[in-house]
Amino acid sequence: MWLESLPNAWPFDYSQKNAVLVPVAALGVGGMLLCWLRSGRKMKTIDMGDGWWGAGERPPKGKEDTSIRPFKIETSDQEIEDLHQRLDRFRFTPHVEGAAFHYGFNSSYLRKVVDYWRNQFDWRKQVEVLNKYPHFHTTIEGIDIHFIHVKPSYVPHGQAVRPLLMVHGWPGSFYEFYKIIPLLTEPAKHGLNEGDVVFEVICPSIPGYAFSEASHQKGLDSIATARIFHKLMNRLGFKEYYLQGGDWGSRITTNMAQMLPQSVKGLHLNLVFIMTQGLGKMIRTMLGAYVPWLVGFSREDVRRFYPFMEKNIYEVLRESGYLHIQATKPDTAGCGLNDSPVGLAAYIMEKFSTWTDKSFRNKDDGGLESKYSLDELLTNVMIYWVTSSIVSSMRYYKENFSKDPRIHDRVSVHVPTGIAAFPQEIVHVPRVWTKHVYKNIVTYTYMPRGGHFAAFEEPKLLAQDIMQFVRKVEQL
Amino acid sequence: MLLEVFLLLGTLLIYFFFSKKNEETLPFKDGWWGRGQKPETKEDSSVRPFKVETAEEELSDLFRRLDQARFTEPLENSCFHYGTNSVHLRKVVSYWKNQFNWKKQVEVLNKYPQFKTKIQGIDIHFVHVKPPHLPEGQAAKPLLMVHGWPGSFYEFYKIIPLLTDPASHGLGDEHIFEVICPSIPGYGFSEAPHKQDFNSVSAASVFYELMLRLGFNEFYTQGGDAGCVICTNLAQIAPSHVKGLHLNMVLVSKLGLPHLLSILLGRYFPGLFGFQDEDVRRMFPFLKKWLYKILSEFGYAHIQATKPDTVGCGLNDSPVGLAAYILEKFSSWTDMEFRNLEDGGLERKFSLDDLLTNIMIYWVSGCIVSSMRFYKENLQKGIGTQKHEKLTVQVPTGIAAFPNEILHIPQAWAKKKYTNIVSFHFMPRGGHFAALEEPELLAKDILQFVDKVEKDLQYV
Repeated sequence: MWLESLPNAWPFDYSQKNAVLVPVAALGVGGMLLCWLRSGRKMKTIDMGDGWWGAGERPPKGKEDTSIRPFKIETSDQEIEDLHQRLDRFRFTPHVEGAAFHYGFNSSYLRKVVDYWRNQFDWRKQVEVLNKYPHFHTTIEGIDIHFIHVKPSYVPHGQAVRPLLMVHGWPGSFYEFYKIIPLLTEPAKHGLNEGDVVFEVICPSIPGYAFSEASHQKGLDSIATARIFHKLMNRLGFKEYYLQGGDWGSRITTNMAQMLPQSVKGLHLNLVFIMTQGLGKMIRTMLGAYVPWLVGFSREDVRRFYPFMEKNIYEVLRESGYLHIQATKPDTAGCGLNDSPVGLAAYIMEKFSTWTDKSFRNKDDGGLESKYSLDELLTNVMIYWVTSSIVSSMRYYKENFSKDPRIHDRVSVHVPTGIAAFPQEIVHVPRVWTKHVYKNIVTYTYMPRGGHFAAFEEPKLLAQDIMQFVRKVEQL
Repeated sequence: MLLEVFLLLGTLLIYFFFSKKNEETLPFKDGWWGRGQKPETKEDSSVRPFKVETAEEELSDLFRRLDQARFTEPLENSCFHYGTNSVHLRKVVSYWKNQFNWKKQVEVLNKYPQFKTKIQGIDIHFVHVKPPHLPEGQAAKPLLMVHGWPGSFYEFYKIIPLLTDPASHGLGDEHIFEVICPSIPGYGFSEAPHKQDFNSVSAASVFYELMLRLGFNEFYTQGGDAGCVICTNLAQIAPSHVKGLHLNMVLVSKLGLPHLLSILLGRYFPGLFGFQDEDVRRMFPFLKKWLYKILSEFGYAHIQATKPDTVGCGLNDSPVGLAAYILEKFSSWTDMEFRNLEDGGLERKFSLDDLLTNIMIYWVSGCIVSSMRFYKENLQKGIGTQKHEKLTVQVPTGIAAFPNEILHIPQAWAKKKYTNIVSFHFMPRGGHFAALEEPELLAKDILQFVDKVEKDLQYV
């Protein structure tokens, strides 16, 4: 439109107009190109790459053993006896008066937990519980990968059973999914729906966690894990599958969708990481407090996101000490925890308290038993204990944080995505910001209750959201 | 990005213009740190002799734990980059079990007279060493030396004789000290506070009471790590009693526009910002020597400042875990290059006996958790927010800047807080644990500092 005004503005004739237009257009295009190049080209997918994590040198040519070997978790008198001895000789430190859970795990409550652990917790019984689902090992990229694979016990004729890979995080494990699995493999039996959406669930252990062998080499990060899990699904005969994850599981499944989108039918997350900083975000944050509608924040976003400093800066500083030390000195941080089961329990269970509900820090017992049973919590701790995997689980932080975290945000996720935003999650990412990375959000739900360990704490809510998401994906 | 930098500069400019230098004294912080309610009766102020003791049971329990320690193999070629290397740790544990002689080390600890006295409701442990001989007419100068984390009063055992008996060590006899090394409450043999909020000002107030109780009206103070903050607070609380303040580490928590500018431009225009060549050598490249170092080395401070009871829990139960945690600091804080070594360079500057004795103090007293709480009590409200961080120090100050200290603070920055710097020296070698690693260098610096202070006083 401004072109028409040109003749009036300048005494140019037509050919000279072009003389102005061409360089201006070139500048404009050139400028845009420059911006695009400088912003770090948005890659289409993450390169798959390859890796070797076994001990020593990678063996030359020779096919890797691709067998899938069933196994059962076992225990022994010796293992239990050793545990009991350590529990008996634990040295307590009294907490300061009025500490509740503000200084970390309250030692008076810890005494009660240890007493239960020593005298009532039945590890043999819990091992049987763990073995109720079939476990397997298979070697990928030089290390043994552990997973459980649960199929529905009865499938009506003609019904599609959708493969679903669910990935845990830290300090959780495959065990976090034990309550949600039946809701996904046999929903009708649990009153969830008419059984139109049924899954077979695969829950692997991240390398270095639980019964998955730890890497012997440096560098096993979430991208390597994503590739390993793709190989796993491929080995199990799946070409297309759904993914679900929270905590590290969210990062890994996102990487999987960025790496091989054609294999991912849908990606469901209960935690979103968005790392991009910048002036734009700062301004939107400041404006959002006063005119949320202008920056695309919903009322619930505002409720969960503000006050900004308190919820996103102070709260994060208060709760990220573990992350800082694990991302820098994992071998130091984990050393004593692999030697003191009570120390391990305090360290892990502190997260199950605070990350389930921040107000639990004000309670002398950390509110733990209001949402979980001691049996459940201790079973998860025992998985870390009997596999001696705490140090390798912590190394995952160093391997992932030593690289620039922003590369993950530069590759968009185009597969259908479902996000379940739980109210007590550590940090809330406003819905409109998730679109920076996830370009195809099919469902976004503000969950009514629940925290970080969604599958463990609110299995039914999470299962319903997953099914609702999958229903929408399949109707598309 | 540029806009953000300007916004930041603008804010700092405003802050800088509106903040003023604060020369008030820091109020003495009274408190009651014992269990329950403060009793009506007057506190027992007796000073009771104390000896470190051990028993067979203590040793056999330790050995059982060492025998049953569960190690995790390190990643290939990781040296000390992931923390304490467990292959080397195994060797240390083997020495600990088979050659380290705790009974003998206890005798070493007991060679200096130790005492306990109750102050503000808790038992304070301290070492008090008087000079073996004093020339006619000369008085011993009282010197309070305060340790830090993860150290203890034991760090001073090599330097004490150089200060109480300098003549025998070729250091002259003009200034002879009687040395008092207390244990910070919650460390070693000092009782841990039972109440919240015991910070550096509390510790300084307790040590002030201690010195008065011992009959000292005027004294010198020396410190590094937490000791540097505590001694600084003491100089702020009672400037008329502190003749001189000597530090081997400096902390500045008020960073403003001038600091930012000197970080950006100091490498190119050192003179403009008061930087000497050695300052530039130690501070730049800034990202590597400051930002990355802080990120990679301060995880322990972050977790201790937020969840001390969690992180310390396992360490009070696993002596190997405790050793790994503490030894890591004696490695990287002595020389950052030690992270590239498979053994962390630990025995290059310290003997295993010394390192293990320090660890044993934490183990037998069970104080690791309470030692970590000190971080929370001091840092929970953030850095630079407390009153004492905004006040300056007028007492004559001497600074010994060791080259391998974690962060180097140039004199140009230090003098904004320490307004009366009498001596500032770039030490030729040594790291964070100066008293243990380079006792002679440190002693010499203390002596020349005291000499300067005393000579200045003569003309007053």
